Amino acid sequence: MFELNWGLPVIGYLFLAGAGAGALTVSSSVLLRGGGGGFGGAHFKVARYGALAAPVLLIIGTALIVLELGTFKAAVAHGDWALLFRWLNLFKVINLSPMSIGSWALLAAILASVAYAYTFLPGNKADDRMKSLRRGLAWIGVPLGIIVGIYTGVLLGAMPSRPLWNSPVLAALFLVSAISTGLATILLIKAVFDRDKKRTSENTAGTHFIKEDRSTYLLTASDLLLIGLELVAVFLFIMFAQLTIGAPAEAMKVLFPGGEMATLFWFGFVVVGLLLPVAVELRYVLPTLLNHQPYSIPVAIEVLVSSLILIGGFVLRYVIVIAGQITYPIGL
Amino acid sequence: MTEQPKNLSRRDAIMTVGVGAATAVAAVTVASEGLAAKDRKVHYAMVIDTRKCIGCHACTVACKAEFDVPLGVNRSWVEYIEKGTYPNVKRNFLPRLCNHCSKPPCVDVCPTGATYKRQEDGIVVVDADICIGCKYCILACPYNARFINTRTGTADKCDFCLHRVKKGLVPSCVNTCQGHARIFGDILDPDSEVSKLIATFPVTVLRQEMGTEPNVYYIDADHTDERDGERMGQYVRVDTFLPYEKRR
Repeated sequence: MFELNWGLPVIGYLFLAGAGAGALTVSSSVLLRGGGGGFGGAHFKVARYGALAAPVLLIIGTALIVLELGTFKAAVAHGDWALLFRWLNLFKVINLSPMSIGSWALLAAILASVAYAYTFLPGNKADDRMKSLRRGLAWIGVPLGIIVGIYTGVLLGAMPSRPLWNSPVLAALFLVSAISTGLATILLIKAVFDRDKKRTSENTAGTHFIKEDRSTYLLTASDLLLIGLELVAVFLFIMFAQLTIGAPAEAMKVLFPGGEMATLFWFGFVVVGLLLPVAVELRYVLPTLLNHQPYSIPVAIEVLVSSLILIGGFVLRYVIVIAGQITYPIGL
Repeated sequence: MTEQPKNLSRRDAIMTVGVGAATAVAAVTVASEGLAAKDRKVHYAMVIDTRKCIGCHACTVACKAEFDVPLGVNRSWVEYIEKGTYPNVKRNFLPRLCNHCSKPPCVDVCPTGATYKRQEDGIVVVDADICIGCKYCILACPYNARFINTRTGTADKCDFCLHRVKKGLVPSCVNTCQGHARIFGDILDPDSEVSKLIATFPVTVLRQEMGTEPNVYYIDADHTDERDGERMGQYVRVDTFLPYEKRR
């Protein structure tokens, strides 16, 4: 067996921080596009779900990578508590290492998202003093979320010694996946917690529907676009490696039939995480998009679709992180 | 009237971001200064004459003893490349260690500056007091030269026995090598043994296509691996003596 230098904590981090960064970007842009940024503005509810989820996801994800640090493991193993906070060395310098730039960006994103979430706490609706602050933080939140989302791909892609990762397309794939999973997080939270009587209804069979909700429709339609882009990124990622003679093409065999990660990649990520959600979402979005029918989707379906997208996002990180470490350059 | 404070706060925010970015750029510029290779007076290198290697692992053991390297990992080791079918068979030996690259990918990815190429002699070292053990360098090294030292939790690797070299001694593996297969010296000095060997014999480096510009040169090295064996229809088996199934 191969020894994995970056295992589950890193995979979990890439997934959670990606979703958190995506939620921050989606929430901020939805707030800005919704106009005003005040309480009760269009899409305000959606923006709030994203704003509250982002710092939680970012902080849990970041806490996970500390578990993977050699110094942290040694601190626990030998009781050498001085090593426990060795990772603070990350913030004593900044250099051109993707991890260094990423750590600073992550720190900025966490601070900004915590402040941004704070502005969404219930306040005086008549005298909303947070409005301008909320808008200002949203302007920062959009680029910070994108930077954190893209850096995870750059982090892996920076090493010629890992041919499967060493592709410029990987950063794009991770970015789109981050925004898509962030959006799915918002949809999931909304489907589970939003019990607004005006927007949900119950039919005779007892199924709960989300009805005539502009926010949900726009988010779901955007998600379709994102998954479409993700499919393009997957295609380009594979094609790029396949058309390169040598190590990248050789490494890509691990994702093709007969390879160690093939089933998980194609079934767990492409089918379950991309194609299935696309098919279901199309079924509900197309009537509204083409025939201008009122948008309505059962709550259970909404929960299912967003869960599938989240599972797909995790499987993508899992497959890529492991596949990159079990493949290597050809020759010596 | 309500517009005024909003604009101010936005401008303030932009200013803050701008100042932060400028600081970052300044820090990066400072960090990359003084790394010009042409200023270097001494650049240590190693020549490994595999014709003289008998695969005795004395270097592995000497290194292990010198640094008390934890079980299961090595700073320096010897690979066995076994190939052919009887009676046309051969087992070749390939001593390995950190290549102390002129363009070290491990240094490029280190987020804390714990690993760096020494300006004075070109040795790539890890500062165990700074390293956080993120393992980025371990993944970035195309030579498997790095590992996590379980005692300190930090990245560890060959440092050409810096503590010995500083006192004018050769590295421990060179000192112990029975066949004089490992030769250590200054590659910038034309009269050094390494320079003369490189000038005399055809030499190769490992994974040249990675662009790392290694400073460990091999004479008559066998670069064959299992994949070559499949292609050539030959039996090839590589024993790396690393905790991995295959070379990677």
